[in-house]
Amino acid sequence: MMEWIDYTFFLRPYAPTPLRLPMISISDLRFRYSQGGFALHVPQLEVESGERVAIIGPSGSGKTTLLNLVAGIRSPQSGRVITNQMDLSELADSSRRDFRIRNIGLVFQEFELLEYLNVLDNILLPYRINGSLELNKKVRQRAAELAEMMGIGDKVSRNVRRLSQGEKQRVAVCRALLAEPPLLLAVEPTGNLDPTNKDKVLDILVEYADSKGSTLVTVTHDHDLLSRFQRIIDFKQFYDLDPKPEAAPSKAP
Amino acid sequence: MKSRLYLPILAMFLIASGCTESGPPGEEPQGTQDSGPQALEPLSIFTTNYPLAYFAERIGGEQVEVSFPAPADVDPAYWAPEAEVIADYQQADLILLNGAGYEKWLERASLPASKLVDTSAAVASSYVPLDEGVVHTHGPAGEHSHKGWAFTTWLNPMMAIAQAQAIQEALSKVRPEAAADFRVAYEGLQADLLALDAQLRDVAADFGGRPILFSHPVYQYLDEHLGLNGESVHWEPGEMPTEKMWNELSTLLQSHPAEFMVWEGEPLEEVENRLAEMGLTSVIYDPCGNAPESGDFGSVMLQNHDNLKMAVDADSGDAN
Amino acid sequence: MKDTLYLAWRYLAHHRIKTAILVGSLTLITFLPVGLNVIVGQSARELTARAEATPLLIGAKGSPLELALNSLYFESDTPELTTYSEAVRIEESGLAKPIPLYVRFQSRESPIVGTTLEYFDFRGLEIASGRRMAVLGECVLGSRVAASMGVGPGDTVISSPESVFDLAGVYPLKMQVVGVLEPSYTADDGAIFVDLKTTWVIQGLVHGHQDMDAPEAAAGVLKREGDTITANASVVQYNEITPDNVDSFHFHGGMSGYPISAIIAVPHDQKSGTILMGRYEADDEVSQIVQPATVMNELLGTILTIREFVVAALLLVAIATLATAALVFLLSLRLRRREIDTMSKIGGSRLSIGTLLASEIVAVLVAGVLLAGLLTLLTVQFGEELIRALLLG
Repeated sequence: MMEWIDYTFFLRPYAPTPLRLPMISISDLRFRYSQGGFALHVPQLEVESGERVAIIGPSGSGKTTLLNLVAGIRSPQSGRVITNQMDLSELADSSRRDFRIRNIGLVFQEFELLEYLNVLDNILLPYRINGSLELNKKVRQRAAELAEMMGIGDKVSRNVRRLSQGEKQRVAVCRALLAEPPLLLAVEPTGNLDPTNKDKVLDILVEYADSKGSTLVTVTHDHDLLSRFQRIIDFKQFYDLDPKPEAAPSKAP
Repeated sequence: MKSRLYLPILAMFLIASGCTESGPPGEEPQGTQDSGPQALEPLSIFTTNYPLAYFAERIGGEQVEVSFPAPADVDPAYWAPEAEVIADYQQADLILLNGAGYEKWLERASLPASKLVDTSAAVASSYVPLDEGVVHTHGPAGEHSHKGWAFTTWLNPMMAIAQAQAIQEALSKVRPEAAADFRVAYEGLQADLLALDAQLRDVAADFGGRPILFSHPVYQYLDEHLGLNGESVHWEPGEMPTEKMWNELSTLLQSHPAEFMVWEGEPLEEVENRLAEMGLTSVIYDPCGNAPESGDFGSVMLQNHDNLKMAVDADSGDAN
Repeated sequence: MKDTLYLAWRYLAHHRIKTAILVGSLTLITFLPVGLNVIVGQSARELTARAEATPLLIGAKGSPLELALNSLYFESDTPELTTYSEAVRIEESGLAKPIPLYVRFQSRESPIVGTTLEYFDFRGLEIASGRRMAVLGECVLGSRVAASMGVGPGDTVISSPESVFDLAGVYPLKMQVVGVLEPSYTADDGAIFVDLKTTWVIQGLVHGHQDMDAPEAAAGVLKREGDTITANASVVQYNEITPDNVDSFHFHGGMSGYPISAIIAVPHDQKSGTILMGRYEADDEVSQIVQPATVMNELLGTILTIREFVVAALLLVAIATLATAALVFLLSLRLRRREIDTMSKIGGSRLSIGTLLASEIVAVLVAGVLLAGLLTLLTVQFGEELIRALLLG
């Protein structure tokens, strides 16, 4: 089956536009896991380009799920999620992956590094697992610069298992930043770090987002960090504790 | 890659063409050669005594290259070739043996059985047994005898003819192309030997059955064939016999009153004189086991006949 | 693709022990049936070739297989012995050329083959260095014996006594090495060739000793009855044949009663062969004539049947191994679940991730098969050596 979709816009290198369009635009989003558990309903949510947003809320309230929906890892049952001008639910799986690898940098709580690779190879991973990114000299150079910036420039050939927790997360951040994505999604990026490393990693993320005009959306439990964000979304409002097949209209915020 | 492959092929081609071109002009390559016996390599024939070498040369002519590797100064009957010489024998096309136990070294040597020709095998029933030697017993094998046969078969011209015939047959088998030539040459040799035989018989007839002495037991076949009444002692031509040997001779002469003593070679003069005093005339009859200093087998045998005849004639003259 | 293969390579290199075990077991399970087939095939060809190159074998009545194995490959026990007169009988029949063999004694582990020079011509054995044996006590070595013993022309080898307790019989004989043969890749490479008569010396049937008439031998004379001298055990038995004593070696009577183990008969033509075979059919015949090709084919039939069983067993093992390998791969996939998830989330394409996972399996399989192929090639190349080491050595 052919899909007549214009890919070219997301294949173009990212350049912040002077006109500030929303990076994320969600309307009447409904999602529930097939096994049940909870239902998510987001009537309306917008995140501006270059905005730094923290999402808080109780465990299991669907914060991570929301990020997965925004990234196109999961698709909503109904409603629309527009990420960087793109309705991901209209795309095929392979196109969503191509979109993700170019437009979204993901940082995980457990770092999710590949332990059979060294630091540099971990950073370069996105360029090796999707043909739409070409691994060339410039990319390698950028990876080296990123590592240098993060203070792990002397450890690029070390196996990631022999790094400290803080160093591991820095590697993970490098990996997320390598493709210079306009949108950074982080899930508890500091959850496993000591206070010093927490600040350091967050500094890096914020600094990068500011310098590139990228949007940063972070799910966190850590209320100490909230001062770094421009907006805080409390997830309680989207959490439907009594899910029904047809979810009731959402309560007002 | 291509050019590197090409070079050795070119080289091989050049070598191959060079080989055919560098051959002697006008000569066909060996494989296609089929132009009669003249063009063939001579057969390599090894023999174990001189008479066989002589026969082989007479019969084989141009077709053979005869080797008889024993040194000139030894009696081939008591000669054993060294391993290297045996290795040469192994390379021969034919190895001619005298048979009758002549080649005592043969049983200790490794020779290709298919190339061995026992020239006297066909007349083995005429072998003369030796009446000396010992039998001894030891070990599990029990009694065994070292007794054997007299081996100077060729001194009987009829035996010699049989041996020559065996050579002719063997040569014809190896080179059938030249069989006719071998036959003609053999018949020439046979005629010579028959003539010698007739002459010897004449002398023997003149001689009658008178007792005769042989200085060495090598004349058994001559003795038996001509019906001579011979007895042998063990005297060497170049040596002075001991007094004991002289005494034994005197004793022997009493029962065997011989007038002639036949020698393999020239005896010492004083021996000859002392024999003459005892009434014994020395006669030289060269068995010719090794190559003579001059002449060949035929001339030596004729000389032997002449020596014998002269002695007998002189004796008859004395008696007259 | 290149990048994916790089990742796969890193993965395999990181888990090198697991990879090595997988590759190793796949290699072995692929190679074993293939290699076994190759080796059995080659040895069958080698055995058959030699058997077919040996038209007829004659020996004393007994096991035809033993006769063939002993005479063709110098293996198995010495068959029932016959005598040299049997060879004379064949020669005199005019039907075939007899090549007598006496394969009974050994020097260390190498068989001593007593025969005639015709054997070399018959087998097409060329001298690599030195010359053929010429006199009693000389020997020519097969290429492998020469190499393994590290001896060549000018050296000596010593025959081994048949048994330590065999006091009366076999004295060790020191033999002069005069030649080494070119390799023929047959059992001949592992044999020591001597003249038939030399084997009789080894056996003590032909011996050298002092002249019993000579005065210095008087002490050894037990009794003297007429011409018969009985010697006692003090008579010196030579254990080496030298130019000085070679003339004292003598045969007691004719050679016809001396033992040999077999005769290779080369018929002058097919008809002669048939006639010759017919002559051994009589019931009271004490000798047997066998066609080695027939005997060996029977043996090979047995070997091939055994091979089929072994291959069947190996196939079962192969299935078990492949099932285990599949299990290992499945477990590996489960262990990599999280890695797969991460790559999917980041945006790795299905193709890349699938290729990465498949390349682990493919690489292991390919490496296993390639190694097995290499081993098979080596077996084909050096199978001859291997076969001799395994079967004939």
